[in-house]
Amino acid sequence: MSKPRVAIFDFAGCEGDQLQIVNLEEVVLDVLGRVEIVTWREAMKEQSDHYDIALVEGSITRKSDEERIKAIREKAGILVAIGACATIGGINCMKNFQDEKFVRRYVYGDKAHWYNTYAARPVSAVVPVDANVHGCPINREEFVQVLKALLQGKKPFIPNYPVCVDCKKAGNVCVLLKGQFCMGPVTRAGCGACCVTEGAYCWGCRGLVDDPNMDAARELLGRFGISAGEAIGQIRLYDGYREEAR
Amino acid sequence: MGGDMNLAIIEKEGLRLFVAEILRQKNTVVGVKDQSAVSSIPGDSGFYTYAPINSPEELTLSFDVTLIPPKKYLLPAYEQLLTFNLSPGSIKADVPKEELIVFGVHPYDIIAINQMDKVFSTVPQDNHYLERRKRTTIIGIDPVKVAPRAFWSSMGADTVASGFDLMLTDIGQCYVVDVGSKKGASLLKMAPRTREAAPAEVKERDKVRAGARKRCDANRLSFSYLELPSLLDGKEEHVIWEEKSHLCFSCGTCNLVCPTCYCFDVRDDVSIDLKKGSRYRTWDGCLLSDFAQVAGGGNFRGHRADRYRHRFYRKGQFIYRRFGDIACVGCGRCSAQCPSDIADPVAVFNRLKEGI
Amino acid sequence: MGSPSPYLPGLATIMKIEEQTAMEKLFMVRPNDGKPLGHKPGQFVEVSVFGVGECPISVSSAPNKKADFEICVRRAGNVTNALHNLKAGDVIGIRGPYGTHFPAEDLRGKDLLFVAGGLGIVPLRSFINYVLERRKDYGRIIVLFGARTPADRLFKAELASLARRPDLEYLETVDVGDASWKGNVGVITTLFPKFAIDPKKTYAVMVGPPVMYRFAIAAARAKGLADDHIIVSFERKMKCGLGKCGHCQMGPVYVCQEGPVFNFAAIKNLEEALS
Repeated sequence: MSKPRVAIFDFAGCEGDQLQIVNLEEVVLDVLGRVEIVTWREAMKEQSDHYDIALVEGSITRKSDEERIKAIREKAGILVAIGACATIGGINCMKNFQDEKFVRRYVYGDKAHWYNTYAARPVSAVVPVDANVHGCPINREEFVQVLKALLQGKKPFIPNYPVCVDCKKAGNVCVLLKGQFCMGPVTRAGCGACCVTEGAYCWGCRGLVDDPNMDAARELLGRFGISAGEAIGQIRLYDGYREEAR
Repeated sequence: MGGDMNLAIIEKEGLRLFVAEILRQKNTVVGVKDQSAVSSIPGDSGFYTYAPINSPEELTLSFDVTLIPPKKYLLPAYEQLLTFNLSPGSIKADVPKEELIVFGVHPYDIIAINQMDKVFSTVPQDNHYLERRKRTTIIGIDPVKVAPRAFWSSMGADTVASGFDLMLTDIGQCYVVDVGSKKGASLLKMAPRTREAAPAEVKERDKVRAGARKRCDANRLSFSYLELPSLLDGKEEHVIWEEKSHLCFSCGTCNLVCPTCYCFDVRDDVSIDLKKGSRYRTWDGCLLSDFAQVAGGGNFRGHRADRYRHRFYRKGQFIYRRFGDIACVGCGRCSAQCPSDIADPVAVFNRLKEGI
Repeated sequence: MGSPSPYLPGLATIMKIEEQTAMEKLFMVRPNDGKPLGHKPGQFVEVSVFGVGECPISVSSAPNKKADFEICVRRAGNVTNALHNLKAGDVIGIRGPYGTHFPAEDLRGKDLLFVAGGLGIVPLRSFINYVLERRKDYGRIIVLFGARTPADRLFKAELASLARRPDLEYLETVDVGDASWKGNVGVITTLFPKFAIDPKKTYAVMVGPPVMYRFAIAAARAKGLADDHIIVSFERKMKCGLGKCGHCQMGPVYVCQEGPVFNFAAIKNLEEALS
């Protein structure tokens, strides 16, 4: 049986997720033993239009992006969004709540007219996505899990429960118990609660769970003296597109 | 066993030497540590956790409650059950073989372990749990410090008659040791300078216990916990379930930190070459939104309030009807760790009792 | 002490696969140790596709002395999808049988009203065939079968031959018909006015999707059936089959242990029984 051909593409993003793939370290050779990477701008010169699995990083933020992702979708049997920008829109969507012209000028200065950007959106807003590897950046272990599931022809297990579950399994002290704010109770798990384990709080980079309890979140924020505006800002840090989509 | 006849005394220094000797004989010991010593996060200080112990100095016996109960050693957060080859298909069971000494378990957590023993030894028996249990030595300690949310004194969990191999009570200058099993008795032989407890020391132990019980009584059920099964009868439609669960994140914290919660999910993992794999179980919780969802998409407990109610019924009635135990030991972990502070059994059960 | 782990499946080989509908396939399975499963009608097995997972599936064949047994599987999740992709000769894992069974012995001499909604025919088929093999031991037999559409009808040939039997009354319906469908259209309860029963002698045995029970039970009661004359079998997430993992609980009941077959009178007051 020939190895599945994998192509890796990037759109608007920092390429941090591709870096995570490069950094797979001890398993990178095993992964390469299972798939043939045929296109990867970040790591190789060759390119091919024939691939079975497309891994897509970054959000869609230009008309030209849209055409490109649609062409990729047509060629790929399986399309996987990797990283917050691709799965939920991510950081890029913060600009959607600001004046587009202002943002463009702020970023590109007097060359702003060269760039024809629009409101950022996740890949799934443009084409159907078969699987999401959430996170900013992606968790390497989870990436390998998803890849294995796809090679098996199985739907990857992506949790629909909050980060609190991962935190308890990791044996962490709840950030809230320490009197600090945390996005964990509404954020999709699967990261192993890595940020809390390292002493930080959950920023919500994996996006909200399917049915987040926003009333409870508001109450919680209030308890920490966080205003509604700040709360919205915290959610918009990664998952702003979600409220636009509604 | 466990009667006064078996009470021994071990001096504080003797206990240190006892732990040192246990470690010297290459036993794997876990005990309670300050969380910051494990996580290296300064802000974690003041929270307690079970972790491997390499010297007697690392051991804390004056903790109030640990974040996660010792169930994590009997029903680990992730536990491999089987390993298999995919092609040609073959499969074998992975039954644990590690011996473990858990040093410093409060009576309420021992009662919870006794309950789990019942669940997993009920036919069909769960050998994975039972093997682990058989290979685990439990050294109990009576609490002196009481966690603010603890209410074990009103759950009949201030003392425990069985389930431990040794039970220590700190009476100031020394520990009273109750020997609960042959395993405990032979372990105690490693301790230097033990002697039989004098009647005054036994009295002192009772005093220490009564003191802790009294401190714990500050937060208590307003009625006997034995009334819980009947109290819950006919309360399925009570407004409290909807009202309280309005702020439920469905995060499962109350389940995961509970010493009597044992539900788990089973998943398969495969090697990257897809040639071999393993089947493992991992903690699950009935508060999680997809807990009762079947493959076709139907969810038999799709409403937050139903999940919230289910847990309280399980604690106060369902497990009692099944195994004869009230499945809440009053450790207060759910109460302390719930992000929305809606999980406190004292608040819920007392309100049901008041009938409003 | 037997197996070292209650989670350890026995290996079994898929002998034959028969496509039933676009969504369902019937698998004939033979345990590799050659021993019969030893199941009773209504029980289920935990089926493993190694590396994918395990899921509960009702046994669809009647007990017999041969080792082969049948399971009918709807493509619904990862494990069932993987099963659908297997071929004859492939090896799977089987644990069980688990759960309670239809009270075949207690129902001897009684009239039986089988009510099968959709996939509910799968476990009922085991019992119906069991009864037909002992036809003289039972009274009158009525079989009701409802499917969503004509294309969703399982065991078409077998049910057609049931319909031809003189010693059995067979009625079927579809929720939505099509151009070729000449039979009844409507939910399964629309079949109830078409026959009369002696409620003292009759027991209803019903299996179907969750939504069916409320209506089918009401229809059975309207025919004068007492609650303890109604036998049901419930679907839940029976992950371990051993009364441990907790997923299949219906209030205090572990469906994998006290069920899936229940006498309706025993569980009718359970808050979570009829959703």
